[in-house]
Formats: sequence, C-alpha cells, structure tokens
Amino acid sequence: MLDGTRRVSALSIFLVTRGALCLALCIAGCERDASTAPPGYAVVGLDNGPVTLDPRYATDAIGSQIGDLLFDGLTRLDDQARYFPHLAADWNTPDPLTFEFHLREGVLFHDGTPVTAADVKATFDSVRAPDSRSPKGVSLAVIEAIDTPDPLTVRFHLREAFAPFLDATTMGILPARAVATSPTTAIAAPVGSGPFRLVEFAPDERVVLVRFEHYAVRPARLAGVIFKVVPDGLVRLLEFRRGGLDLIQSAIEPDAVAWLRQQPHTEVLTRPGTGFQYLGLNLSDLRLSDIRVRRAIAYALDRKALIRTLLRGLATPASGLLAPGHWAYSGDVPTYGYNPKRAAELLDEAGYPDPDGDGPAPRFRLSYKTTTVDLRKRIAEAIQAQLARVGIALDIRSYEWGTFYGDIKRGNFQIYSLSWVGVADPDIYFLTCHSSQVPPVGNNRGRFVDASVDALTERARHTLDRDERARLYAETQQRVAELLPVIPLWWNTNVAVLDTRLRGFELRADGSLRSLRDAWIEER
Amino acid sequence: MTAYLLRRLGLAGLSVFGVVTLVFLLIHVIPGDPVDAMLGETAMAADKEALRHQLGLHRSIAVQYGRYLRRLGHGNLGRSLHSSRPVRRMIVARYPATIELAAAALLLALLVAVPLGVAAAARPRSFVNLASAGVALFGAAVPSLWLGPMLMLIFAVWLDWLPVSGRGTLAHLVLPALTLGIGMAALLARLLRATLLERLHEEFVRTARAKGAGRARAVVVHALPNALLPVITAVGLQAGALLSGAIITETIFSWPGIGRLLLLAIQTRDYPLVQGCVLVIALTYVALNLVLDLLYAWVDPRVRLGGEPA
Repeated sequence: MLDGTRRVSALSIFLVTRGALCLALCIAGCERDASTAPPGYAVVGLDNGPVTLDPRYATDAIGSQIGDLLFDGLTRLDDQARYFPHLAADWNTPDPLTFEFHLREGVLFHDGTPVTAADVKATFDSVRAPDSRSPKGVSLAVIEAIDTPDPLTVRFHLREAFAPFLDATTMGILPARAVATSPTTAIAAPVGSGPFRLVEFAPDERVVLVRFEHYAVRPARLAGVIFKVVPDGLVRLLEFRRGGLDLIQSAIEPDAVAWLRQQPHTEVLTRPGTGFQYLGLNLSDLRLSDIRVRRAIAYALDRKALIRTLLRGLATPASGLLAPGHWAYSGDVPTYGYNPKRAAELLDEAGYPDPDGDGPAPRFRLSYKTTTVDLRKRIAEAIQAQLARVGIALDIRSYEWGTFYGDIKRGNFQIYSLSWVGVADPDIYFLTCHSSQVPPVGNNRGRFVDASVDALTERARHTLDRDERARLYAETQQRVAELLPVIPLWWNTNVAVLDTRLRGFELRADGSLRSLRDAWIEER
Repeated sequence: MTAYLLRRLGLAGLSVFGVVTLVFLLIHVIPGDPVDAMLGETAMAADKEALRHQLGLHRSIAVQYGRYLRRLGHGNLGRSLHSSRPVRRMIVARYPATIELAAAALLLALLVAVPLGVAAAARPRSFVNLASAGVALFGAAVPSLWLGPMLMLIFAVWLDWLPVSGRGTLAHLVLPALTLGIGMAALLARLLRATLLERLHEEFVRTARAKGAGRARAVVVHALPNALLPVITAVGLQAGALLSGAIITETIFSWPGIGRLLLLAIQTRDYPLVQGCVLVIALTYVALNLVLDLLYAWVDPRVRLGGEPA
C-alpha cells in the first residue's frame, strides 16, 4: 500500500480559468483526427511516468499498473483483494510454515525461454539479498529459504506462520539470467511473461508495449498499448478531446467530469474505489488523547456536504480503512453521522466549555497540516468551517509534499489529512494501529496504543484461515471505529474517461489497468 | 582583438568556476542533513550510511570539493537517487529538446520583433506603431501558463492545425516556441523601436536622407545595423529567461527537456540530478553570453579596440 502522493502542480493557478475554458471547450466542435498511434493500439494518458518497470523495485502506482500488463506474478488479486493462482497453477500449504507453488507448464518469457522454478527463486532471492536496495525486501524478511524440488515447483519456507506473505507473491517474475546480470539495481528494460512486452521506455515521456503473441493464457486483443506522459491536467483533457488519447484514469479533476460526460465519442466510467481518505490525529496531544474530543470531531464533520460540493459526489462516506467489497470488510462498526449538537455536548463533557457560546472565541485551537494541492486546501478550509461551528479552531498549514510527508512520518502534527491507496492485505491494520509501529518505525503515526487491537492484529497476521482472519479483522474494525485513532472521511470513487473506440475496458476498484488485457479497439 | 578575446575567455572561465562551486555548495547550504532530506527521517540507518558514502558526505568539505572537481573533469555527474541512472546520461537525453525549443523561441522572437520594431520606428505616429505596442504589451503581460493552453485550444482543438503537446515533428515545435518566445519578442520589438528612433535623429542618418535615401532605406540600411547592439545585449540577458521559462513551458507542452527534468528532480528531492540540471543550465547561459559578447565585438569595432561602447 502507498500513501496517496499528490504532486504539486506548478500550474494550479491556471485552474482559476478552468471554468471559462470548459465553456469554450463545450462550444468547440471538432472531429477526432486520425490517431498517430498504429492501428489496434490504445493510448493511455498519464500524469507521471513510471520510475522503473522492474517488478523488484516498482512501488509507484503507475509502475505497478504497467507492470500488471508486462508481468505475471505467482498469484494475482481479484476485486475483493483475494489471492488467485496466476503464473502458478495452484498452491498448497503442507504446514503453516511452507507455501508450495506449482507453475503452469509451457509458459514463456518474452524472449521465448520457458518460465521455471529457478526464475521464481532467483527473482525472490535477489529482493531478499542483504545488499539489495529493493523496498520490497522488508515484506520478504519472513522467508527463511526457497527451494525448487523440480523445474515447476517452488517452495517457500517461512520463519513463522504469516498470512500477509501471499501479498508478496503477486510480484512479477524475471528470468534468472536477467536477475544475474543486474542483482542489486533495477533493470531498465525488463523481460516478463505477461500478455504485453516492452518495446520502448522513455522516462517521463512514454512507454510502449506490444502484444506478446505466445502468451500462454489468452493473448491480448489490443495490438499494443502506448502510455503517454502529459503532466498538466488540463492539457491531458485537451489531448483527449483532440483524439490523441483513448484512456485517462489518473488525476481527473472532479470539476471536469460533468464536461467530459457531454463530449462526443466519450464514455465516463465511475466505480467505488478502495482509496481511503482520513484525518490523522496525534494521540500524544493532551486534548486529542481524549476519546470524547475525537468523537466530537467526527460528529462535527458533515462528510456528505464535503463530498457533494467539493468532490462533485465522487466519493462515499467511509466507516474505516477497508472499503466494502474487500473480503475482510465489516460494516458492523460504530459510525458518526453529522451531529454538531452531540459534538458540542461531548466537548463540554470533556472539560472544554465554549467560552462565549456562539461567539467567536474557540474552545481550543489545533493545527491542521495539508499539502499545497488546490483541492486539498479547499477541503481543509471546509473542515475548518465545520469545526468552527462546534467551537474548535483550526490553523491550516499547507506544505510542499516532501516537507508535509516528512512531518507526518515523523509524527510531527496535531491533525493532518491523507489517504491510503492500493490497500490489499488487511494486515494494514497491524501496520497502522499496532503499538510497535509508532514513528519513526512504522505507520502508526498518531501513536495509538490499545492492548486489544495489538492482540487482534498480531493474531490475525499469524492465522492462515481466511474466514478466521476475517472474523479477527471484523473485531479489529469495530474496536478501531470505537476508539477513532483516525477519523474516516471517505472512500474515493475511481473515474476513467475513455474514447468509445476502446472497447471491453472495465474500471477496477483498486484502480489497476489489468482489464486492458481483455480490451480492444474498434475503429469508427 | 586577441587581447579582448583572451579577456572575455578569462572572465567566462571565472564564471564557470563560480557556477561549479555554487552548485557544489547547493547540497551543503540546505538546512539539516542532506541525507535525511533525501531519504526522509525514518529511513534505515544502514541505508543512510550507504547513501552518505555513495555521495562522499562523510568526508571533509575540502576533500569533497576536490573529489567533486575531479569527477566533473571526467564528466561524471553522479547517479540519480530516484531512478539510479547516471545523471549525465539523463541530461544528455534531454538537452537537445531544450536547446531546440529555446532556439526556436529565439528565432521566432526575432522574426516577430525585427519587422514589428522597424515598422513601428518607420511610422512612429501611425496605426502600425499602435498595433506593435499593443502586441508587445500583450506579449509581455500574458503568462505562459495561460497562453499555452489557449494556443492549444485555438490551434490544436478548434482549428486542428497543430498537435496539442509532445515532441516529434516540426509542427509540435510551433506552439511551445510561440508560448516561450512571445514575451521576448515583445521586449525586443519595443527596444528596437526605441533605439531606431534615437538613431534616426543622428547625423549619419540625416546625411543618408540628404543624399536621397528614402525613409524606409534610411531605417533598414543605415539605422538598423547601428540599433542592433542593444538588441544583442538584451538577447543575452533574456537567454536566462528562455531557459528558466522552459520549466513551465516544457511542463505544459509535455516537452521532454531539462526544465521538466529539473522540476521533477526538485519534487523528488533528487539532489545529484538537481545539481546536474542547474549546472548545465548555468553553463549554457555563460556560453551563450560569451558568444554574444564576441558577436558584439564583431559588430562594434569600439568594443574590440578597447573603447567605450555607445
């Protein structure tokens, strides 16, 4: 999982003129020009290029998205974040410390050589190696050894029973030869075994993939996919309008969606996503350590109004980190609907009376950290106004991303707002709520400590049975929603804009582009 | 001329040395530990130590400076922290795009500015002058982050004449060059008009007129060459604006140049890459001004002979 990184657009000032431009665009009538892409290719617009495509090193969203088309991992995630066999035909766990994967027969790498157990072992071993600089090494630390009894069988021996281990098995597999030539650094043009192979990677400019004709499962229908980096959001829309792009799925401004819906040959897809936006609270602050104050803040927020006005309805009020649809999601948790009266009562009870009733003097002041992104600042101002109604004053401080994120990771804040994207394994509850994960070690940034959450998340990560895990996480979700270490805001809605000549594309909850494996182009 | 050339080369050398030193100091004037700033406070101690060694930051400043100069001498700019590719290779891949855009913008600026300036000077109280003043004011006042998308809207989306963004054919070059060059065109046009009007009242032009040259001939043949000196100076000074303006223009137009590379490097706190980009941009500026100074000397004999330029 990643924190939703939001880049500071150098052009945010330009957004001011957006309204006028949208109007101008609406009256513009122009036909799609002949696309510059070869026939049968889909062109995808990106706001940022991938840093690397090497599956051992790719952690950014777009690197993983393209990797999904280039590589097949041993397992893959379905829409409910359950693991399914992929490169492996199946797997079993003879004992809780051993995972045995059986590879499909006759699967080829893009260079024509067969995929064997030795390739799997080499890929994982190079990430595990002590001199590896791969950020994925930490999650593989639980592996004791890997052996390959025959060319199509890989056995992972773990140090302890560890359910989140399967998360690591979605990683793409590289040929052992390639790993040997580049053991500790990322490969610039990696060879995979997915339905597309890489033909060009121009950093921050474009990535070109073509169909791999010998793909074992079901060959792709697209002749190829071109990922084109267009950093500016408005220019991306102009490119799309002119017909230079078939698909945009990243960073679409909520305000642009209404305009896009009116365009010819344009389809706008929306689907509830898994991204989770929240308010982080520092529990070592005297006032925020009081559960009544945290609940009061939750009651004081009118999430529905924020979503309706600022996000144009493109979000759903959230009850916790895991979104509905995740296999471990539980809706049976306390929620906090908009209730400013209740909020005021709780604050009175906590010993923070309003000095002048409805007057301007606040009960107390807190600082709220956010980024310089325009939408984030507007959300901060709306939350400031809502909390002011119950007598809590917020001082909004917006920082450039690096400084902001540094402060958050250090635990240097009173309140901040951020999101989790790409959450797959529910072990995220251990990583964000367990008392061992406080800064600077882990992601329990608000320094939340609760013995029962500690016990639940520990047990859940060592339980291999999925139903039993789901039960433990249901209890965790309930406990966390009761104690509110963070205040849930909303789950984002994923948005994709596509040219109607792109067929068979399906928007996925996790925001991946996996369905391009089955999409095709139908010329008008 | 030789003495002048040597003096200018010496000065340029000194500037290069200053630039190189400033870029070196860049990493040391940031408050706090640069390794912390790059990796974040929560990075593993071992990773921090490794990076500290990779960058040589555990040594004294003097030793680091010596090593830095030696590496530069070999053309080694280090590796990007973000992508771990060699910085030199990343810059070499991007440099031609920036130069192409800057040269096109400069050419476009001159193509617009010279006729506009001359026309305005030739008819100082006419509609032409008023129009040229209007164009100049517009060009100077409009920010590229507004102008760029407007040009795209008109010429790419509505008229369908040119591509929206990206680099490739000559057609791709037109809109970004126009966006980047229009401010400079405005400045040069007004400057040229002012100097031309001044020259027109000088004796050598009056002599030419007395010998029967028409007003147009007096302006173009006699006054123009003399009015070019301040224009050359302005081009040199504005080159900096072209190179820094490229950061915004390149981002809007998805133009794969140094400006966009620098912006990304800053956003990802990739210090070796920031250093490399700043160094290359500054050196380009120094080199360009050296060339323009030599051009200046060639155009104006008083300069190369040691006199004071007018």
